[in-house]
Amino acid sequence: MKRIYKISGLLLLFTFFSTFASAQNIIVKGKVTDAKTGEALIGVTVGVQGTSAGSQTDVNGNFSVNAASTATLQVSYIGYTTQTVPVSGRTNIDIKLESSATELQQVVVVGYGTQRKLDVTGSVASVKGDDISKQASTNAISSLQGKVAGVQITNNGNPGASPEIRIRGVGTVYGNANPLYVVDGVWFDDISFLNPNDIENMSILKDASSESIYGVRAANGVVLVTTKKGKGAPTINYSAYAGWQKVTNQPALANATEYATMINELNKIQFPNDPLTFADPNKFGQGTNWLNTVLRDAFTMKHDLTVSGSTDKSSYSFSAGYLKQQGVVTGNNYDRLTTHMQQDVQATKFLKLGYNAVIQHSFSKDAPGGLIYKAFTAAPVVPVFYADGTYGDPADFPIGNATNNPKAQLDFFNQRSKNYRITGNMFAEIKLASFLTLRSSFGGEFGEGEVLGYSPAYKATAAQFNDNSDLNVSRAEVRNWIQENTLTFDKTFKDHHLTVLAGQSSQRYKSYNIVATAQNVPYTSDADLYLRVGSNDQQFPNTVTDSGDLATYQSYFGRINYSFKNRYLLNASMRADGSSKFIGNQRWGYFPSVGAGWVISSEPFMQNQHIFDNLKLRGSWGKIGNASVPANLSVQTVNNSAGFAAIYNGVASTGANITTIVPPVTYWERGVGTDIGLEMAFLNSRLTFEADYYKKKTEQGIFAIPILGSLGTSGGTIIGNQATFQNEGFEFSAGWRGQINADFSYTVNGNFSINNNKVLSTITGQNPIYGGGAAATGGQLSTRTILGQPIGQFYGLVVDGVFQNAAEIAASSQKDAKPGDFRYKDLNNDGAIDAKDRAVIGNPNPKYLYGLNTTLNYKEFDLTIDLQGVAGVDVYNANKGLRYGSENFTKDFYDNRWHGEGTSNTYPSANIGGGNNYKPNSFFVESGAYFRIRNLQLGYTLPSALATKMFMKRVRVYASAQNIYNSFSYKGFNPEVGGSPTNAGIDNGAFPLYATYNFGVNVSF
Amino acid sequence: MLNKNFKYALALSTCAVLMISQGCKKDFLDVPPQGQLPSQEFFKTPEDAAKAVNSIYGNLREWKQTAFAPMAVESLGSDETEKGSTPADASFMNAYDNFTVTATDGQLEDFWKGQYQSINLCNQVLDNVPAIAMDANLKSRYLAEAKFVRAYNYFRLVRAFGDVVLRDHVPVDASEYNLPRTAKADVYAFIEKDLTEAAAVLPQSYGAADIGRATKGAALALHAKVAMYLKKWADVLNYTNQVMGMGYSLFPDFEKSFRIANENNSESVFEVQCQNLASIPGASTSQYSQIQGVPGNLNLGWGFNVPTDALVAAFEPGDPRMDATIIFRGETTPQGDVIELTGPNPRYNQKSYVPKSVPFTSNQGEDQNVRVIRYAEVLLMNAEAANETGNAAQAIASLEVVRARARAGNAAILPKVTTTDQGALRTAIWHERQVELAMEFDRYFDVIRQGRAAEIFGPKGWKANKNEVWPIPQNEIDLATGVLTQNPGY
Repeated sequence: MKRIYKISGLLLLFTFFSTFASAQNIIVKGKVTDAKTGEALIGVTVGVQGTSAGSQTDVNGNFSVNAASTATLQVSYIGYTTQTVPVSGRTNIDIKLESSATELQQVVVVGYGTQRKLDVTGSVASVKGDDISKQASTNAISSLQGKVAGVQITNNGNPGASPEIRIRGVGTVYGNANPLYVVDGVWFDDISFLNPNDIENMSILKDASSESIYGVRAANGVVLVTTKKGKGAPTINYSAYAGWQKVTNQPALANATEYATMINELNKIQFPNDPLTFADPNKFGQGTNWLNTVLRDAFTMKHDLTVSGSTDKSSYSFSAGYLKQQGVVTGNNYDRLTTHMQQDVQATKFLKLGYNAVIQHSFSKDAPGGLIYKAFTAAPVVPVFYADGTYGDPADFPIGNATNNPKAQLDFFNQRSKNYRITGNMFAEIKLASFLTLRSSFGGEFGEGEVLGYSPAYKATAAQFNDNSDLNVSRAEVRNWIQENTLTFDKTFKDHHLTVLAGQSSQRYKSYNIVATAQNVPYTSDADLYLRVGSNDQQFPNTVTDSGDLATYQSYFGRINYSFKNRYLLNASMRADGSSKFIGNQRWGYFPSVGAGWVISSEPFMQNQHIFDNLKLRGSWGKIGNASVPANLSVQTVNNSAGFAAIYNGVASTGANITTIVPPVTYWERGVGTDIGLEMAFLNSRLTFEADYYKKKTEQGIFAIPILGSLGTSGGTIIGNQATFQNEGFEFSAGWRGQINADFSYTVNGNFSINNNKVLSTITGQNPIYGGGAAATGGQLSTRTILGQPIGQFYGLVVDGVFQNAAEIAASSQKDAKPGDFRYKDLNNDGAIDAKDRAVIGNPNPKYLYGLNTTLNYKEFDLTIDLQGVAGVDVYNANKGLRYGSENFTKDFYDNRWHGEGTSNTYPSANIGGGNNYKPNSFFVESGAYFRIRNLQLGYTLPSALATKMFMKRVRVYASAQNIYNSFSYKGFNPEVGGSPTNAGIDNGAFPLYATYNFGVNVSF
Repeated sequence: MLNKNFKYALALSTCAVLMISQGCKKDFLDVPPQGQLPSQEFFKTPEDAAKAVNSIYGNLREWKQTAFAPMAVESLGSDETEKGSTPADASFMNAYDNFTVTATDGQLEDFWKGQYQSINLCNQVLDNVPAIAMDANLKSRYLAEAKFVRAYNYFRLVRAFGDVVLRDHVPVDASEYNLPRTAKADVYAFIEKDLTEAAAVLPQSYGAADIGRATKGAALALHAKVAMYLKKWADVLNYTNQVMGMGYSLFPDFEKSFRIANENNSESVFEVQCQNLASIPGASTSQYSQIQGVPGNLNLGWGFNVPTDALVAAFEPGDPRMDATIIFRGETTPQGDVIELTGPNPRYNQKSYVPKSVPFTSNQGEDQNVRVIRYAEVLLMNAEAANETGNAAQAIASLEVVRARARAGNAAILPKVTTTDQGALRTAIWHERQVELAMEFDRYFDVIRQGRAAEIFGPKGWKANKNEVWPIPQNEIDLATGVLTQNPGY
């Protein structure tokens, strides 16, 4: 309670100050309009210099302010150049504001406020809502791909999954490496629930100093999302599109004859004396193309209706959106309903109240997990159905049980998911004085997810059957809140502009998940799908299990922005964060930052040059934290897994024990970043250029590193502060706005970034941290993180060709090899090929990212072309070697495989998953570089005269295509792989790339 | 223009309301783990001790203890089994059959981890239970049970890998994580100490509510087997004689002794208890029977670890144990399952067989106990030790008990062994082990122990001075960063 008194005292002081300052003389009235269009401007701040007095314009652009007859009015509005007007005894003054649409006058959203782009000393990128909603993506994040330097978006193609986003490389190894999303002040880990159409602006904070005001969660960058607000006269906007999505760049697979040929070869290698598995491969012909049986061209449509506007005292915006998206897997459907509501009211002169809310509901009919992979590996010799209508059964063919009938898997899969979510924020803003604002806000998220799965009793094939029907029901709840108070002081004293922010925040995140199952649930209609209908007997008992998490944060923060003559800029901030995830002395983290800027072009000595419209040098340093790690890493817990139950004389007794090792202390993972930037504008600011150098260090990085099996822990890893690493690089962006004539204008924006990732120290000293030892790599550790090198480099044997015959084998160090096996390099020359011959064989951390975004406007036509790519990255194509038995092969493998002396010295025999061939090696590493036409859109806007005749303000129709062209050498589905940093870039499974084609319309009334 | 009192009041109240929502709660940041018991609250009560001991037994059913890893490491190298299933299915398993396995094969690591996970459970009990205030007798029995299982785990490790990392307690801190290998002889000494201490405390039998726990007989029998591997024949004789005085007897019907209805019978010295438990869903984890089950239409499992021609040939003419040990393609089992004539493998393991009529929830055959030590083996160890110590009469007598049961009253088969020649009798006892214990994961290391591996497994690729042990898993060597050495030849 002590703190309340302190703050109250402070408030009292400010209140007194403001009261004192507002002495009145005359009332000045007037109207503020746009200098170009003459349109009335609403909500323009009209202040009296040197005092706290001031007001805002109403819906007609009119204002009224108390001022001394000798005073000077300061008129400011976002997007317009601030004007100062001497009153000179006048009581009526009309003011025309010039648009400040130039790059340097732009206002950007920063943490807890806005700043003129000119005043920013860190690296902040802004993306307009229009650029996001223009794209066909249903997730706003994926629309950022290629738009912002240094921001890597990986769309891994897994339906429904959010894209992975890395800002300036990998900042976190364990836990969530995605940035923090702040939507209208509420914090999220993921914003897939947002309708891109409701987004006004996205600001990406890239450097540590701009991020550090969000200390606790900022280590991987911060994305600030502002949703739409009503502006101006009431407007009704309707937009819609419809189109389809299809799998593109799908690797061709071997047909049935080719498959049978390779299975024969495979089995002949392993069992030379056995008869051929398939006596006549040719009789199978093309066989089944399993991918085609489960994939389809998927239909999508989206409708959005928005009503918005503002009056002198309030603004409002209401929107409703409906998305219907078919998945590319047959039967997979997703429906999403979103509503967005925003309202604010100037209740009294000093009190403004408002809220933002998003209500979302989604419904999906799910696809079985891994189905596309099953179709990718299924045997083409097996028909989908036999002539009698029963399912083709792999068990009827001599191919083991590693593959199934994907069609049967799909047909008997029945799972529906629903999500309900309400997120929002309400606030009260109290103008204690013209320069002092107190803002209190309370927001949060209230969500529920439901999954209902039912599998009937069936028998499709020998291995695909279900003797007893199963019902699975799960509920996941999210209850989060965030409450914040900020006090902002903003004042200009002659050449000095000072903004001071002080704030407090507390947050609570609670999740709960419960899963229940029943068996032998009959089905006549959905009304039967209740757990209580299950048999729930000795043999088929109902089960229930639950889990949950709770985390809390408490934070205090402050920031000072100071500028002198718009030339010298200084920003400093400090944030203290307490997190329930850390215990004892480690609970609180402190995150300071400083930034400085020099606008060289504003110097007197630059006034006579005509080259630079803007020349600014800036530098910043900051510390940021990462609490997106699991809670209580240093608290050892008891393992009471069901498998620990003992059975004595047929009766179960529960068991429990300790099966983990935890580090004695866990520290905050911290980011420390430096950024130096140069901003330039030429040719009336038509050409802009921005360059940044950055160095971002993650200190005490939290890793899960594999530990010795002989410790006998259940997880096989220990999680703790294990390493320090850094990302260092350069970012360049350039923009050009061209105007050929009144009818034809265009813009070109390009960006390019270079990132180098390096490990600076590890707890294991000179010893590496190994990773990537999952099934994908045959259980072999395939990545290595070692001092001085990038995180998670691919590590394995180096292929030096393929053994052609027994003589070559006899002369080699691999006496157990068979012709067609990989010949590995004996790197240590000890005459044996073993683990000591492994070397770095690739780097999964992308080095180069680039994007080129172009718009052209000719009369009523507009064209958008977005190009984007990644280079300097490797992918481990684990699908090639991950074979449990008779999986299908790609056509590429068939065409190039070794199948007899002299047939190939690069591709091995069909036994690629056997012998020593499956071990992590250089053959599996491929370039992950790609280039694509990300977005192509052609629009036509009806001439306004025609639109008006149809009682509409504006009508635009368009056609768009996404991922229409992709160029890469990678042999898998998609070189965008992602993954947790010590397992990144290992492609295991089949996540296709999609191309989308849409036709749409935007109408405003 | 300002109503300053109003403004002040409003500002204060807004602020106050929002602050109260969290600011007054001092413990706002104190959040214990959700739904998980912190370990310092465990090992406090007798119930905790009981649960921890339960975990040791429960874990013995687990995949790495009973399925692929033991099949690879303890069975496929032998002449009695081969991989089975279809050729391409889990073809990596062939490396254990033809001795081309290298340190990176995953089954080695699974086997290694599985044993050490069990050892950790035992060490947790042995380190933490002594401090619990509880009935002293029960406490010492719990500790003895943990020692028995720990000895069993180390025995499996030392047979498979030779020198291994010896952990006799839970690591106190990071300095005890990375330990070098301990010499095989010292590991054996440690195993013997555990078993001696366990046998001194464990009861000869339990009441009905505790059937399945380790008994004194189990500790002595396992100790006898360990001593047999060390050729300490007097000890083998002593321990087996003690077990033979405890009232065990062979189950009359050899085939039926392996069926679920006859689990924990008079012949059972130690079995891993496996059963689908309605009261604890998810606990029925054993895939021991499933991996070896007959595939195809019957769909009893995956059809791995199948009997070889050599095993068929090993049985004496008319020995009924052949039909009880091997399911032949085309036969009808005593339980009425008709085995298809077509199918990838001519034979399957019948000792792990669970008939189609037995229902299951997760895995086929999940109710089948794993017979770790049967009284028949105690008799055969007794026979071998007696023979090695010059007591042919006792050797013949113990051997005859086993053969007589197999004979099942049919005087025309399996004549009594009568030779008193030590060499001939030894061969006969070894042969009896081969057929009596066939398909029970004993043969591979038994032949190595007998010193006949080069002769018997050599044609399959077994090489002396290398294949006595398997390689240490490569991942473990990598993670030990130089502290662990590899076995010679790998």
